[in-house]
Amino acid sequence: MSKPEVDVCIVGSGAGGAPLALELGRAGFKVVVLEKGAHYQPRDFVHDEILNSRRNFFMPLPWEEPHLVRRGPKERYERSNSAWTANCVGGGTVHMSGYFYRLKPVDFRLRSTLGPIPGSTLADWPIAYEDLAPFYDKAEAEMGVSGQAVAHPFLEPRSGPYPLPPLDTHPISGEIDKVCSALGWHSLPTARGIISRPYKGRSACAYCALCGSYGCEMGAKSGTNASLIPAALATGNVELRPGCMARSIEVDTRGRARSVVYLDPDGVAQEQPARIIVSSCTAVESARLLLNSTSNRFPKGLANGSGLVGKNLLFSSFGESRATFRVSKQKAARPWLADPSPFVNRSLQDFYLMPDTRFGFRKGGTLGFMWTHPNPIFAAVGMAGSGKSGVFGKELKDRMRAYRDSRILQFEVYAEFLPTPGTSVTVESGVKDKYGIPVAAITLDRHPMDFAATRFLVDRGEEVLMRLDPDDVQRVGIAGETTILQHGTCRFGDDPATSVLDKNCRAHEVPNLYVVDGSFMPTGGSVPSTLTIAANSFRVADHLVRTLKG
Amino acid sequence: MVLLGGIACKRGSEAPPAPAAPATTGTTAKGQALHTFSRFEYAAVAAATERLLPRDEDPGALDADVPLYIDRMLQTPELKQMHQDFVTGLAALERRAQRMFQTGFAQATPAQQDELLAIFKDSPQGSGEAHFYELLMVLSLEGFLGDPSYGGNQGKVGWRLMGFDMVGTVAMAPPEGYDGPKCLRECGSHR
Repeated sequence: MSKPEVDVCIVGSGAGGAPLALELGRAGFKVVVLEKGAHYQPRDFVHDEILNSRRNFFMPLPWEEPHLVRRGPKERYERSNSAWTANCVGGGTVHMSGYFYRLKPVDFRLRSTLGPIPGSTLADWPIAYEDLAPFYDKAEAEMGVSGQAVAHPFLEPRSGPYPLPPLDTHPISGEIDKVCSALGWHSLPTARGIISRPYKGRSACAYCALCGSYGCEMGAKSGTNASLIPAALATGNVELRPGCMARSIEVDTRGRARSVVYLDPDGVAQEQPARIIVSSCTAVESARLLLNSTSNRFPKGLANGSGLVGKNLLFSSFGESRATFRVSKQKAARPWLADPSPFVNRSLQDFYLMPDTRFGFRKGGTLGFMWTHPNPIFAAVGMAGSGKSGVFGKELKDRMRAYRDSRILQFEVYAEFLPTPGTSVTVESGVKDKYGIPVAAITLDRHPMDFAATRFLVDRGEEVLMRLDPDDVQRVGIAGETTILQHGTCRFGDDPATSVLDKNCRAHEVPNLYVVDGSFMPTGGSVPSTLTIAANSFRVADHLVRTLKG
Repeated sequence: MVLLGGIACKRGSEAPPAPAAPATTGTTAKGQALHTFSRFEYAAVAAATERLLPRDEDPGALDADVPLYIDRMLQTPELKQMHQDFVTGLAALERRAQRMFQTGFAQATPAQQDELLAIFKDSPQGSGEAHFYELLMVLSLEGFLGDPSYGGNQGKVGWRLMGFDMVGTVAMAPPEGYDGPKCLRECGSHR
């Protein structure tokens, strides 16, 4: 059934959709936000690992809504729930850890900086850091970010301090500072999308230690569910429809986007016409939505005359190591180890861009230091292992007892993920989800330079861990990817032959269609991209409000 | 500090009535009602989980009611396939015990049980045996270390063993009276 036309219909309520909903609502436009997941309230966020992390509270079940994933164009697809972010109002910003880094000026002109890289489809952005900077300020202020800028060689220009002072940290952060300083490196406070003081009617962080992977029952985590969505609804111009799964975007005879067809919470197909249609349901799912929106005008999918929708998929290159401190052995010398403070909040960006290629790469990335996640089932499943190296019985229980006596410090690497011709999203018409919609199929075809960079960063991180004098250091990986950080599938650019969107994130081929999740990014940068996606959406909103007001 | 008042689930009084309790399939020796396993199957699950997490100087799987957790969890509608795979794998474990030791798995000696479990664990990735072992291990760890409202981790013995009771500064565990299975039924589905 067709609903009355609105000014703007946005698919998705996360880091991309929410800023646009808020700004358009404030400007007086009628907005409908379609969100496939539920609208959880703070009281729904309970520290129940089974509910939150092991069932479909946030993530769809792989047998109900699979992503097909293969490592290489000749491999077989496997059903997986990887590359989903959370399915709920607020999307991935609800259960994020909230590492709110900005990109750096070099990320906007990486192709010019590095020159051509064989095997990569690397491209510059059509905008510069300076174009986005005011909207980083705005995103930080609207959502609430706690941090402290300190001088270092790759510090991005800022117009002022963070809206909120940094969160309290564990004493080990001071130890990391000393060690890095001795190495000649710059230990930086990690900015967090978590409020350290009461802010805009929200209460401050309670330091509960179950932060990432959980929703925040305090409302202190700056997910759009706690910050932008309530503000958008308060304008009176924004209607949020949870439990609504977008199936396709329809076009009129002139090739303009006309409406979004979606399944309502009862599974009934509905049609929402709008003057402007915005897709913001992650780089993988937005590509899927466009590719599933076929018509006579767009037989290969909406805005896909160029064949570029779904190409140039980017995740974030991942590496990790862990240092274990045995509390019983070390507590005499280091009584502060047992301090319960959950946050380490230290980062290293000294290797963001290397001066030359002597290590096999130039674009490096960021190291973020943190305690390992305290989820006990997750930890124990890791200890049990699998196959011939797996253990059970006394050996497993001994590992659990050793874990009780440990504090485990880890770092995560966020390194450049170079775009390649092979890494992409398509739709697989033969495999449908529980709604009957063809699912997204992801092919990974990694560039070898990514691994050189990640290995180098892991080596540097381990130097820091070793100097902290732990009882053990274990390398977790150097060749992974963080699939909740996703970008690139509708890259923006000035040339319609090489990009899907223009510099305002409007489709070159469809003048009233926008995509504002991570899809627009031709490069992912070497930091988690949540804040960048939100800042860009505020930038697009600024353009769109001016356009609509004519 | 109270972080969460009342029942921590989004639907309160307007919640639909809980579905009628499924038919009982048997009872444990302690008189607890079973909904997935026969008494015979339950004995094998109990023996297997106790080998994965045996009682030593610290409590084990049976102390935490891990097998009861598995019996209840496999009633989740979304886990129908897992339920089927688990029961099929359990039957295969039982057949293997009969073939190798001419006795049921529950009646085999702990050393024989360990030998069988190791065979399943070390089976090739993708085989039915390896799949069953993985389900058994993951469900055992969930039952040992999950919220006690799901029926396992009784007395929070798993959390104490792992030191999870010492993590953090404020109420880390769900509040008294929290009903995980209810939230899983009502909040955890995206309908």
